[in-house]
Amino acid sequence: MIGQNVPRTDGVPKVIGTARYIDDVPPLPGELWGVTVRSPVARGVLQRIELDPSFDWTDVTVVTADDMDDEHNVVALIEYDQPVLAKKQLRHMYEPIALIACADRDKAERARAAVKLHIDKQEPVLSIEDSLAAKHVVWGEDNVLKKYEIKQGDAEAAFQSCELVLTGTYRVHHQEQLYIEPQGVIARWFAGQDGQENLKILGSLQCPYYVHKALKKTFDLPDDRAHVEQTVTGGGFGGKEEYPSVVALHAALLAKKSGKPVRMIYGRKEDIEATTKRHPAICTVTIGCKNDGTFVAVKVDCLMDGGAYVTLTPVVLSRGALHACGAYRFQHHHVLAKALATSTPPNGAFRGFGAPQTIWAIERHVDAVARALGRDPHDLRDQNLFNEGDTTCTGQVLSVSVGGRACLDAATKAVDWKARRANIDRFNEKLARDGKRVRRGIGISTFMHGAGFTGSGERRLKGKVAVDLTPGGRLNIRSASTDIGQGTETVFRQIAASVSGVPFEHIDLEVPNTTKVPDSGPTVASRTVMVVGSIVGKAALEVAERVRAEMKDSGGTFAEAGDRLLKRVGGTVSSLQQYEPPVTRQFDEATYTGDAYPCFSWACDVAEVEVDLDTYETRVLKLWSASDVGRVINPILCAGQVEGGTLQAIGWALYEDVVWRPDGSIANARMTNYIVPTAVDAPPFETILVEIPFPAGPGGAKGVGELPMDGGAPAIASAVEHALSHELKWQGSLLPDLPLLPEKIFNRVRQLES
Amino acid sequence: MLELDINGKKQQVDASPLARLLDVLRGPCGLTGTKEGCGEGECGSCTVLLDGEPVNACLVLAGQVEGRAVLTIEGVGSPEHLTPLQRCFIDDGGAQCGICTPGMIVSAEALLRSHRAPTDEQIRDAIAGNICRCTGYQRIVDAIRHAAELRK
Amino acid sequence: MTGVAGILDGVRFERARSLDEAVSRVGALVSSGEPFHVLAGGTDLVVESHLAPPSPVARPGRTILDISSVPELSKIEDRGDRIRFGGGVTYLTLRREPWASRIPLLARMARDVGAIQIQARGTLAGNIATASPAADGVCGLFPLDTLVGLRSASGERAVPLTEYFTGYKKTQRRPDELIAWVDVRVPARDAKWAWRKVGTRLAQAISKVALAAVIEIDKGIIQYARFGMASVAPVTVSLPSVRALLEGRGVDVDLAALDAAVDRDVAPIDDVRSTGDYRRHVARAVVRELTRSLTT
Ligand SMILES: Cc1cc2nc3c(=O)[nH]c(=O)nc-3n(C[C@H](O)[C@H](O)[C@H](O)COP(=O)(O)OP(=O)(O)OC[C@H]3O[C@@H](n4cnc5c(N)ncnc54)[C@H](O)[C@@H]3O)c2cc1C
Ligand code: FES
Ligand code: FES
Repeated sequence: MIGQNVPRTDGVPKVIGTARYIDDVPPLPGELWGVTVRSPVARGVLQRIELDPSFDWTDVTVVTADDMDDEHNVVALIEYDQPVLAKKQLRHMYEPIALIACADRDKAERARAAVKLHIDKQEPVLSIEDSLAAKHVVWGEDNVLKKYEIKQGDAEAAFQSCELVLTGTYRVHHQEQLYIEPQGVIARWFAGQDGQENLKILGSLQCPYYVHKALKKTFDLPDDRAHVEQTVTGGGFGGKEEYPSVVALHAALLAKKSGKPVRMIYGRKEDIEATTKRHPAICTVTIGCKNDGTFVAVKVDCLMDGGAYVTLTPVVLSRGALHACGAYRFQHHHVLAKALATSTPPNGAFRGFGAPQTIWAIERHVDAVARALGRDPHDLRDQNLFNEGDTTCTGQVLSVSVGGRACLDAATKAVDWKARRANIDRFNEKLARDGKRVRRGIGISTFMHGAGFTGSGERRLKGKVAVDLTPGGRLNIRSASTDIGQGTETVFRQIAASVSGVPFEHIDLEVPNTTKVPDSGPTVASRTVMVVGSIVGKAALEVAERVRAEMKDSGGTFAEAGDRLLKRVGGTVSSLQQYEPPVTRQFDEATYTGDAYPCFSWACDVAEVEVDLDTYETRVLKLWSASDVGRVINPILCAGQVEGGTLQAIGWALYEDVVWRPDGSIANARMTNYIVPTAVDAPPFETILVEIPFPAGPGGAKGVGELPMDGGAPAIASAVEHALSHELKWQGSLLPDLPLLPEKIFNRVRQLES
Repeated sequence: MLELDINGKKQQVDASPLARLLDVLRGPCGLTGTKEGCGEGECGSCTVLLDGEPVNACLVLAGQVEGRAVLTIEGVGSPEHLTPLQRCFIDDGGAQCGICTPGMIVSAEALLRSHRAPTDEQIRDAIAGNICRCTGYQRIVDAIRHAAELRK
Repeated sequence: MTGVAGILDGVRFERARSLDEAVSRVGALVSSGEPFHVLAGGTDLVVESHLAPPSPVARPGRTILDISSVPELSKIEDRGDRIRFGGGVTYLTLRREPWASRIPLLARMARDVGAIQIQARGTLAGNIATASPAADGVCGLFPLDTLVGLRSASGERAVPLTEYFTGYKKTQRRPDELIAWVDVRVPARDAKWAWRKVGTRLAQAISKVALAAVIEIDKGIIQYARFGMASVAPVTVSLPSVRALLEGRGVDVDLAALDAAVDRDVAPIDDVRSTGDYRRHVARAVVRELTRSLTT
């Protein structure tokens, strides 16, 4: 079972169009349509909300912050700083202020326009630089949402004795998740059997228990009266990790006040404008090395833009900091990471979760060091890449499943790096001779991504899964891990089947619903297969063993024995398992030392590009990716994760850009101008799955979800630099900043030429 | 009342001719396989065939299709009888979250009706109006190529 | 006319079955002063006006006149050295035979418009009527000595496409006129042609700069040079200075003079998709590249 290309179990409804996403759920009786009134300013003080008296409000429900007391007016996540609806202080453009519901959608829209907001405008803080300089204090005392320091050895002192010390500053920008199905929920209140009020949320979401927690807080509900159920979800990529709590709270408020079910589905524009995005970052990297290329010391100063509220920023920043030194061996490390508040919508989870930002910087900087040393970027990586037994920036000794070198070697071989690079150089000379205005280039990145929660996260979280025996000798997996396209449904069944010996076809999966499934922890951090999958296996095995014991005692087939057992115990034969993290060196959150992750996934990306010397358009001709995600459970699904994630990285590098106006609004909140790659822009992928098993993962699996987002952008930048290196000479980095839009490359080249 | 021909069935539908075809399909017709990802012709998740040509149902008004044949994903295969395209999308990993999949399959269906052995370039051109954020497209291209081989 | 089938907050939907019917209805609407929209493929109109429910903007009192089923508008007449395309001809039709072989420039241009779904619905007349300076269809038609056939209840007139646009989104078309056809010159068999679109990506892209060209060379002398360039000025431009520089000369062109000519012909601006500087640079570069290709 493990390692087989089992067709995905949710495939049939998806290809025939019967899979039911949130907006496919038929209207409930009396259902209303909910919309949000948002702040038209990035910063200001709300004085008054006025409902246009000439508008007919009779069949319209309006909710404002006045419908809640302050204690309950919070979106419960890490800090309780974000209100469900802004009351006085407006902290970002598009911040929710009021909610409207009406049976008639057109009228709901018109009502939205009939709400007049009286606001005293304040000057917003829109950039990391302005926030750092405390141009205005928009959060806490100094705009600092969170900071970390990681230190091993003494980098500053070590630089003194290095033969080369090079510093560079690298910037990355916002990225919109752009899942194709926008955010949406349906909220409904109903009386339970005891007459008490219950709340049901049905929605497109990644983490049912996050929503559950938020509902409980705002509505003062006990665990068993808030019910959150996931519908088939049309993509998330982190964008449906924390944000659905906001949509759910809004719909629930409207449903409560109106006494009717409320459907809230965002339009594309609203979704791009109001929901979370990838954190922008500025990283300054210093590497000290010997003339022979041996890395000695690294220092990284990382600033991230958290947006207006804390949301998940501390965790994103932490992961960014922990990945800032890359996949390389240094004797001395020093990382300073700081997240700052700005007057922009809160940034949040997006595949990679902080790591792509810092990996961009370190990978770009390794290229700059290679250039300074006159070395091939591949060889310099080869020389310094982590091996088993090496130590990371937190002092973690890499002892299990260290696949970096295997990935580099596999990619090098598939690409035939040396020969290909030489061929490209010759080809470029020919192009130049023929007066052709394009050049080719090849670039590389090597990277790793910590699998699972950071540090003691899993120990605190205590993720759980249950497996039940059901009639006919079937097993039913109950887990809160959602399938948002990655194939969790299929892979969990494969794990359960292979560990328990029960046939794949006899394994079912409960729809994630907080009333029916235990809290397995959120579907994030590449933890689903490695962490939750491992307890799925355990639970399935335990149930199967009980049935087998029954078979042994009283005979019959597995199904017969199972049914007999069920009858005898009076209904439930079940196993509830809780995750026990493998024993590692304790991670100390105060000093950021110890084992940050149980293991890492590894990869090497190689990109070949063609760059137009006139227009600076870049075409990715081919992308090779060699990834070690441990034992692969389903190669097709796994390669699909690698390719899809890598294309998101390519999009971030070459096309995607959130354009901010000076007032803090977004100028391109539409799919016609927020540009993601189409099928003709995407390169052919050659995906190589290198399998270095991780003993504690199910069947030896690690995590794959986020890794592919990390290396695509730097590999492309490296290739573009190679292509342009035939025409231009520069020092340090030619392309230190994302995105690599033609206009930006054009400006950079012009700046270099003058 | 509109007189529509959907998936080979002529039917009276109670809807305004000014409604978007997309809303008429998803609402009164109950055909929710056609999805809305943008409402402005960019994402292709609302793709249906109009007289055999792929169009964005979010940009067509219902009144414009009277007298023309509309084919939606519901008219392509069934759970018991998947078409080769549908089978290959499942087997080759062409569908992940699946929200783009119905539109993608409808576009691919139009291609395969006119091309017995499309090249990868032709396949990519045929689905360039269908944005997929999950797969990276490689496996979709593979699925369509395999389906073309199976149809021969 | 299939009656007033739908009323949505007072918006009426009508469908014209013939060109005569369409123009007489438009004439009547204009004289009555009622607001109306002519609807063809809808790929501009539906996006822009969000006229479809559940949008808030289906304003009462207006009429939507659907001309997408008017047979005359999709007619194509091939008269040898010129072809007359009905205004309702779609990009997809231009991409297909026999028209792809007759005027490869238009087929190539059509391939770069949106993606198949847009090409199947979008029409030449719609592209011209929208009058966007980024319009690829207009740009592709510019070098083809194109005449625009404007039809009203009171008759028909032909306007050269290069004179049709009078300012940003302003044209010579009167409100009572429909674009009935475009009449294009078929370039000589051995004519050189070029289409180069620099967009935000390779499909579903709006042009940052696009260049269309037809060049006919006889005995080493450029006899005929016509251009269209999109997104570099408030209207599509025909690069008159470049034309003046090239016509009557050999194919070896002085590049500095060429750049200067381009500079005179374009006036690009910054917008959400690109910058004026970049557009100017690209405009020069694609014209240079074109002249380079003439010598090979
Ligand atoms: C996703 C997407 C991608 C696109 N990509 C491109 C692109 O790459 N390049 C490009 O140039 N354009 C592009 N467009 C714009 C559009 O597709 C074209 O401009 C198309 O040609 C418009 O034609 P239509 O028939 O759809 O016009 P409609 O939307 O039906 O009408 C547009 C305007 O023309 C008027 N009109 C239509 N027909 C006539 C007529 N016969 N007489 C008088 N007035 C008339 C209408 O009243 C309306 O004002 C894109 C649009 C979308 C949605
Ligand atoms: S919903 Fe029609 S193209 Fe996106
Ligand atoms: S499978 Fe998710 S968008 Fe294509």
